[in-house]
Amino acid sequence: MIVTAPPHEPAIRIVGLKKRFGERIVLDEVSFDVAAGEVVALLGASGAGKTTLFRCLTRLAQSDGGQVFLGEHAMRALDRRQLSRARSEVGLIFQQFNLIRRLSALDNVLVGRLGSVPTWRVMLRRFPHRDRQLALAALDRVGMLPYALQRADSLSGGQQQRVAIARALAQCSRFVLADEPVASLDPEAARSVLTILRDIARERMIAVLVSLHQIEFARQFADRVIGLRAGRIVADRPAALLAEADHRMIFAT
Amino acid sequence: MTERESAAGYPDPWRSRIRTAPLRFVATLVFVLGIYGLSLYFVDFDLVRLWGGLPRLAHWAAKAWPPDTHELSILSERAIETVAMAVVGTTIGVVIAAPCCILAARNLTPSRLLYAPARWFLSILRGIDSFVFALLFVAAVGLGPFAGVLGIGLHSAGSIAKLWSEAIEAVEPGPLEAAALTGANRLKVIAYALLPDVLPNLSSITLYMWEFNVRSSTVLGVVGAGGIGQELKNSVDLLDFPRLFTIILIILVMVTAIDQFSAWLRRRLV
Repeated sequence: MIVTAPPHEPAIRIVGLKKRFGERIVLDEVSFDVAAGEVVALLGASGAGKTTLFRCLTRLAQSDGGQVFLGEHAMRALDRRQLSRARSEVGLIFQQFNLIRRLSALDNVLVGRLGSVPTWRVMLRRFPHRDRQLALAALDRVGMLPYALQRADSLSGGQQQRVAIARALAQCSRFVLADEPVASLDPEAARSVLTILRDIARERMIAVLVSLHQIEFARQFADRVIGLRAGRIVADRPAALLAEADHRMIFAT
Repeated sequence: MTERESAAGYPDPWRSRIRTAPLRFVATLVFVLGIYGLSLYFVDFDLVRLWGGLPRLAHWAAKAWPPDTHELSILSERAIETVAMAVVGTTIGVVIAAPCCILAARNLTPSRLLYAPARWFLSILRGIDSFVFALLFVAAVGLGPFAGVLGIGLHSAGSIAKLWSEAIEAVEPGPLEAAALTGANRLKVIAYALLPDVLPNLSSITLYMWEFNVRSSTVLGVVGAGGIGQELKNSVDLLDFPRLFTIILIILVMVTAIDQFSAWLRRRLV
C-alpha cells in the first residue's frame, strides 16, 4: 500500500477506527489523515462503510475502537459539552441537503451561526449584523446571493447543495465532511458543487473529506483517494495516480 | 417431459387459501351479523315506534312555521357567545397543549420517562368529552359560559396536543439533525429549525379544533354551560317550536359560515 505523506500537519486524523454491528465488522482498523486545505475522496460501493465512517467521525454513531482527531479534539474522549464545541467546527454536507424547506436560503445559511448566537436572539430571529454579513458573504461565495430570499424548497438540487455549503462556510468550519454530496445531482450540478468544495478547501485551508461513488469525480476534484471496501482501506493514493486496477479493487464484489 | 409437467412442481401458495375461502367467508359473515344483531338489540331499535312518532314530528314542524323572529337580537347574541366560547376554549386548549406536546412527541421529548405519562395524561383529557367536563364545571363554578369554556379547553388540550405531536413526529429528521450538529442547543433547534416547518400544520390543526369546538359549544348550553344551546333547551322544554326553528336556523348558518371560513384559512396556510 502506498501511503502519501500529507502536505501539511494533518487536520483530520483517523487511527485504527473500528465499528461492529453485532457480529458484522463494518469498519476494520481504518486509518488515514486529511490535511488542512486538502480534499480527500472516499470511494466505495454501497455498504462499504462510508456512511458509518462519517457517522463515527462526528460520533453520531459510537465506534468500537481507535481514535478520531479533528484538529486538537480527540473525538472519542470528549464529554457532551466538548463534543458540541468540536462539532460546531465541522461543516456537514448531506446527500439530501437537509435544508429547512420553508426557510429562505439566507435563513438556512444562518443555521451555521446558531451555535454562536445567544438563544434569545435565535428565538426572535434577530441575528447580529456581523452574523448576517457572514451569511451573505457565504452565499455570495457559492454564487447563491441572488437567491438569498428564495425559499429552500423552491431551489434546484444543485442550488440547495450550494446553500448547504454556504451554511458550512458561515459556520466557519475547519473541517467539512460531505457524505455523497452529489449522488442526487445531475453531472453538471455535481461538477459545480465539487468545484466549490475544492476551492473553499484551498482558500480557507479547510480539510474536506467527501464520499463519492464516481471514480471520475474523485480523480478530477480530489487530491487523494481512499478506497474503502467491506470496511477496510484497499487503496490510498494521490488522485492523479488512481489506476484502473484500483477501480476494480474498490468496487469488486 | 412436457412443459405442463415440468411447471407443476412449485408449491402453490394459493391452493390452501382457495380451499379455505368459503369457510372464512361464512365465519366473517356470522361475526358481522352477530355484531349487528347485538347492537340493534341493545339500542332498542324499533321502526314501528318511529312510524308512530312521525305524525307528531310533522305536527310540530307545521306549528314551527313561520319562525319566531322576535328575539333575533338576543339569539344572535347567544350565537356570538357560542363562537366566543369556542375561541377562548380553544385558546386554553392551546396553552395547555403547547408544553404537553413537546413531552409527547417522540423526537422532542427530553426524556423517555416523561413521554409515556404525557401521552396517558393527554389520552385522559381526550377521552372525556367537553360535555362531560362542562357538567363537572357547572357544578364547580356555576351556570354560564365560563363552565363551558373550561370544558372545551380541557378536552381540546388533549386533542390538540395529540394532533400536534403527531405532526411534529412526522417532520424530516435530517434538517433538525443538521442544525443540532452546528452546536445549537435544543431550544434553538426547536425555535429556528422545527417551528417554521410545522407552524402552518399546527395552525391548521388549531383552526380545525376551533371549528369543531363551535359545533360542540352549540350543545353545551343543554347542561347549562352557556351559548345558544341554552336557548335551544328552553324552547324544547316550553314546546315553543317557532322559536326552536329560528334557533336551529341560526346554528346552521353559524356553523356553515365558520366551517367555510376555517376551511378557507386552512387552505391558505398549508
